[in-house]
Amino acid sequence: MLERLEGLRIIANAQALDAAVWPNGSRVFRLAADDVFLLGDGEVHLDDPHAIVELETGFSGMSMEPAAALDWLESTCEWELPGQRPAFAQGAVAGLAVKLWFDETEVFVMTASALAAELEERMP
Amino acid sequence: MNEFIEAKVALQWQQPKAAYDVVIVGGGGHGLATAYYLATRHGITNVGVFERSYIGGGNSGRNTTVIRANYGIPEAVRFYQRSLELFASLEDETDRWIMHNQKGLLWMTHTEHGMRAEKARAAVNTAFGAKTRYVEPEEIKEICPQIDLSGGGKFPVLGASYHEEGATARHDRVVWALAEGAMHRGVHVHQRAPVTGLLRDGDRVTGIETPDGPVSAGVVVSAVGGHVTTLASMAGLRLPIRSHPLQAFVTNHYAQAFDAIAASTDLLFYMSQTARGEMLLGAEIDRQPSYSYRSGHHFLESCAHRAMTLFPFLRDLRILRQWTGICDMSPDYSPIMGKTGVDGFLVTTGWGTWGFKAIPVGGEQMAQLIATDKTPELIAPFSLDRFARDRTLADRGSAGTH
Amino acid sequence: MAAFTFDGSSVPFDSGDSVLLALRKAGTIPGGTLCFAGDCPHCVATVDGVSYVRMCQVSCRDGMTVEPHPVGGAPPLPDGTTAHTAPLQIRHCDLVVIGQGESGSAAAAEAIARGRRVITLDSKQGADAIGIYAGLTVLARSQYGLERIHCDDVVVATGAAEIQPVCTGSDLSGIYTARAAEYLLAHGVDLGTVVAVGDPPPGHASVSGQLVRFEGEGRVAAVVTRDWDGTEHTHPCDTAIVGLGLHPRDALFRMARDLGVTVVGDAAIDATIPPPPQAGTICPCANVTADDVKNVWDRGFHEMELMKRATLAGTGTCQGMACLPHLRSLLADLGGTVQPPFTARPVTKQITFGEISAGAHLRAYPRTALDGEHRRLGAEMDRIGGWWRPWTYGDTEGEYWAVRNGVSIGDVSTLGKMIVTGPDSAELLERLYPTRIAGIKPGRSKYVLILDERGYVLDDGLVCRDGEYEWFLTFTSSGATFAEMWVRDWAESWELDVRILNRTMSLGAINVTGPHAKELLERVGLSDPPSYMGHASAQIAGIDCRVFRLSFTGELSFELHHAIADSVELWRALLDAGADLDLRPHGIDALLKLRLEKGHILVGQDSDFDSTPRRLHHEWAVDLSKEFFVGKAATIRTNKAPLNKQLVGLTMDGPAPHEGAVIWSDGDYNGYVTSSTWSPVTEQSVLLGWLHLRNGELPTEATIEERRAIVSPVPFYDPDGGRARA
Repeated sequence: MLERLEGLRIIANAQALDAAVWPNGSRVFRLAADDVFLLGDGEVHLDDPHAIVELETGFSGMSMEPAAALDWLESTCEWELPGQRPAFAQGAVAGLAVKLWFDETEVFVMTASALAAELEERMP
Repeated sequence: MNEFIEAKVALQWQQPKAAYDVVIVGGGGHGLATAYYLATRHGITNVGVFERSYIGGGNSGRNTTVIRANYGIPEAVRFYQRSLELFASLEDETDRWIMHNQKGLLWMTHTEHGMRAEKARAAVNTAFGAKTRYVEPEEIKEICPQIDLSGGGKFPVLGASYHEEGATARHDRVVWALAEGAMHRGVHVHQRAPVTGLLRDGDRVTGIETPDGPVSAGVVVSAVGGHVTTLASMAGLRLPIRSHPLQAFVTNHYAQAFDAIAASTDLLFYMSQTARGEMLLGAEIDRQPSYSYRSGHHFLESCAHRAMTLFPFLRDLRILRQWTGICDMSPDYSPIMGKTGVDGFLVTTGWGTWGFKAIPVGGEQMAQLIATDKTPELIAPFSLDRFARDRTLADRGSAGTH
Repeated sequence: MAAFTFDGSSVPFDSGDSVLLALRKAGTIPGGTLCFAGDCPHCVATVDGVSYVRMCQVSCRDGMTVEPHPVGGAPPLPDGTTAHTAPLQIRHCDLVVIGQGESGSAAAAEAIARGRRVITLDSKQGADAIGIYAGLTVLARSQYGLERIHCDDVVVATGAAEIQPVCTGSDLSGIYTARAAEYLLAHGVDLGTVVAVGDPPPGHASVSGQLVRFEGEGRVAAVVTRDWDGTEHTHPCDTAIVGLGLHPRDALFRMARDLGVTVVGDAAIDATIPPPPQAGTICPCANVTADDVKNVWDRGFHEMELMKRATLAGTGTCQGMACLPHLRSLLADLGGTVQPPFTARPVTKQITFGEISAGAHLRAYPRTALDGEHRRLGAEMDRIGGWWRPWTYGDTEGEYWAVRNGVSIGDVSTLGKMIVTGPDSAELLERLYPTRIAGIKPGRSKYVLILDERGYVLDDGLVCRDGEYEWFLTFTSSGATFAEMWVRDWAESWELDVRILNRTMSLGAINVTGPHAKELLERVGLSDPPSYMGHASAQIAGIDCRVFRLSFTGELSFELHHAIADSVELWRALLDAGADLDLRPHGIDALLKLRLEKGHILVGQDSDFDSTPRRLHHEWAVDLSKEFFVGKAATIRTNKAPLNKQLVGLTMDGPAPHEGAVIWSDGDYNGYVTSSTWSPVTEQSVLLGWLHLRNGELPTEATIEERRAIVSPVPFYDPDGGRARA
């Protein structure tokens, strides 16, 4: 089951995001050059007075066991998955916009909460 | 011998002349229909049609052969209603079999919004003589027994507009019947005859350039599909046209059992069974503009899936062939016909996904314009200057498919 | 012994046999020159409900049902009740090699040696390439189901097919190509007395002379050849074998030549052009004879593609594999030049709808965070503006009156929502919107139109200011996706320094509306509500909200924007707090009624492709004194054209005509109804519709559904807006 995630959404200029120091233990998803979704607690200092920093609950996600996840992705993901770990990737999976975090222990699957029910139907 | 072999049409080819009263660029349905009606209705036969490939080799031979008049605005309903009439009499007039078959067209919807739109379509159609009415699911099932009204439990059918005069005809045969009729009366049709430039005298267009030399003309008509903006730019004209691929596919042939033409506005596909028995399917235009005739696999997968949602019997049908045409889309999803502001240069373009169904009326009206030098009332709304004059045609009913 | 059913009879088979081989062993064999290689169309049948399956390409399975196609007709449409499904496998590699004969194997081995990732497909191993598409992408059907293989290069090594004989009697049974005969002999099939023509299989000799015809009743009994001097020889036989040369199986290459695909081995050979056929069936799929082709030629159909279309040769189930060599030969004989083969198109191996749609999904419709709440309350859900939304909770009239007389809540989470900040944010919005933005004070909002470059209305919404450089924008539900592209595209093309965040799917929004709205919100903690068209942050039922004071329903309304994680809690808190106020939620059906009484337009329903602000009576939302905004030049231009039609309000006695109904003036078409409803509060039908001007004047009345309609000012209800501002 996909659970609603609570994090921070940060829109800032790319240099500020490149230079940002993220809280220890947090997970940083760089959604675009100017766009970060941050999971984890702590202060973020950004060198961009116009940055947008908002509570973000618009994503839902779940952790999958790597082998099972890769099995599923093999029949639903049209693009080549990253080989290195850890890695972040995003694109269409089973026809929906999905974000994927890969590390040694899990594949973390995220999508917009509004599409979470659809994605669940399309998961094993 | 199969029953569908073209057994009557005789095409008479001639050598090009150095001058014609009328030069038509493009030997597809619209170009040949224009020549045909010039010859049969106005006695104008010193006409040369120049086709870069073979006749009907562009979109005239790549469409899904549907003829209908269930458009969303009066100007279009009137226009296509005339086309229905001309199509219905074309076999008698030419004594050629175009496989014209009135089947009825079901345009199904699955939402409240869609129901409203189909009721609106029926209303404006009825007001202008097109036979379209709103039908409930029970009647849909009677018209089209193969349908799964539950839409696989995902897209239940809530209703449809039913256009009784919706028909199909064999696209190639329409082209050939018109070509033969024109040729028989003295019109020259030239295949493998690309037009490489326009002759100009000041601002006026006076003929065409071809690899075999210049050909002068009293008037040049562009009936080009696909590359019309290139040709028009040679006349110093910028056309508001973007070209998008439109794909289709057929199955093997099966015994006749699917009588109607079925379409879904929400699932975005349409389907009919050809005279030969193939199931013929198409969907919406590709979003990305392109001149490519290359077919895509995503279209095939997705269109097959959507069609199966309403018609589960398709599951075990074997797909035989897919292909692609190019749709010239105007900003308001309506054709652009008539004078261009450049003397000696007329266009008939913007045929989007509705060019086939307009072939006879398009030709008839363009011929009348050429013969009389007056824009006929039926096509006046489709003139190029409508965009500058803020007389854009707003037809949401055309923005969809086929 | 294992067996399958053929045409109602049981046929035994040996393990590994193809259906066609088992039939041959049983002495039942279809007519035509069989190739046993999947090239010719003679052995197609209906296998377990799927028609047009080549029996030589299917391994026997115990209990399978095989039906021959009806003689001279087409198989019936299936009923789709079989459970044939296929999984989807998506693969990636550097190189796909199609065909694993000698040259294909060599190509694969060479690439592997160079360290390339190679996937091989071989139809002999049950992996058929269906088509090659841009990407590159190879579509294939294998024992895994449907395979989509994304790769950089493709080598086509599909070999060559044997040329079919075309002559009188070539449709008899008992005729085999040389390779087919070799295959049958290798499987221990007794061919009886054999006569071979052309290049024979190993161990056989050919009779001399040119093939003239086959003789026999249903089954071949003799081969007739002709010597160079015209003498005919009749060779009695049980089996005829023909070796007429090879024709490349290059359709996959030809369809993808311009994609950089390579062809090797027999698939790359120049096609043999056989002697022009004099009689017999050229195209067995469409039953086209040599005489048919000549006849059509004589009537001016000289181009290969025209010949194909005029005879249908090459359009049947084998897609020209059988007829193409002979068509080319005959057209060359008639016209003096060899024409190129007709266009190769996917699919090269037929595939069912069920197979091709493996892994395909229908369009996904997003759901708001309150989706479960609506369903729990028994709402009738509908796809509206690209979302699942509650159409009605079952009593539209009751929902309507709750808004007009009491208080109600509605889920408006689907509204487009966007944050824009940055040094150039005001400049961006000033250029985007046709109204003046600079004067909006923090905490205030303004209604805005969005125009395209041609001056037509794309969308509408609100611009809300939060600070000098901070803005919150709203768009319609159906316009939201487009809006983000629109704003970003312009910001980038103008190179403005802004930050943009789409909040549509992250923020929920609940509209609290009705005369008791303020009272309800006080109960859940809103002590200091913003004034009309103002907004403020507040805690409501303990939840952080941004409260917008506006009105779409015409009643006192507050829109509560909040993180969607809190939507359910907020919704339930409001329902609880309002229980004694008879609070009930309203669906879209009621909302549309309420807004229509107020004359609020719905962009996309009431507006059309050609809706200028002037036509919509929205000139007040356009400030032409601004230096620039998107659509300004077009607006100035279109304003010069005589006004020809406008969106107007209409009222009627009696029930509401349906939306889309035609509006008549003096018996002529004069427009159509865009929105229509019975207005309970004004006790008449109220409408919006397009009306054409006549002699520069709008008519004052019209006929709709044969009843009289009066052109009426909007709003139809509470024209001075006192209730919304209350």
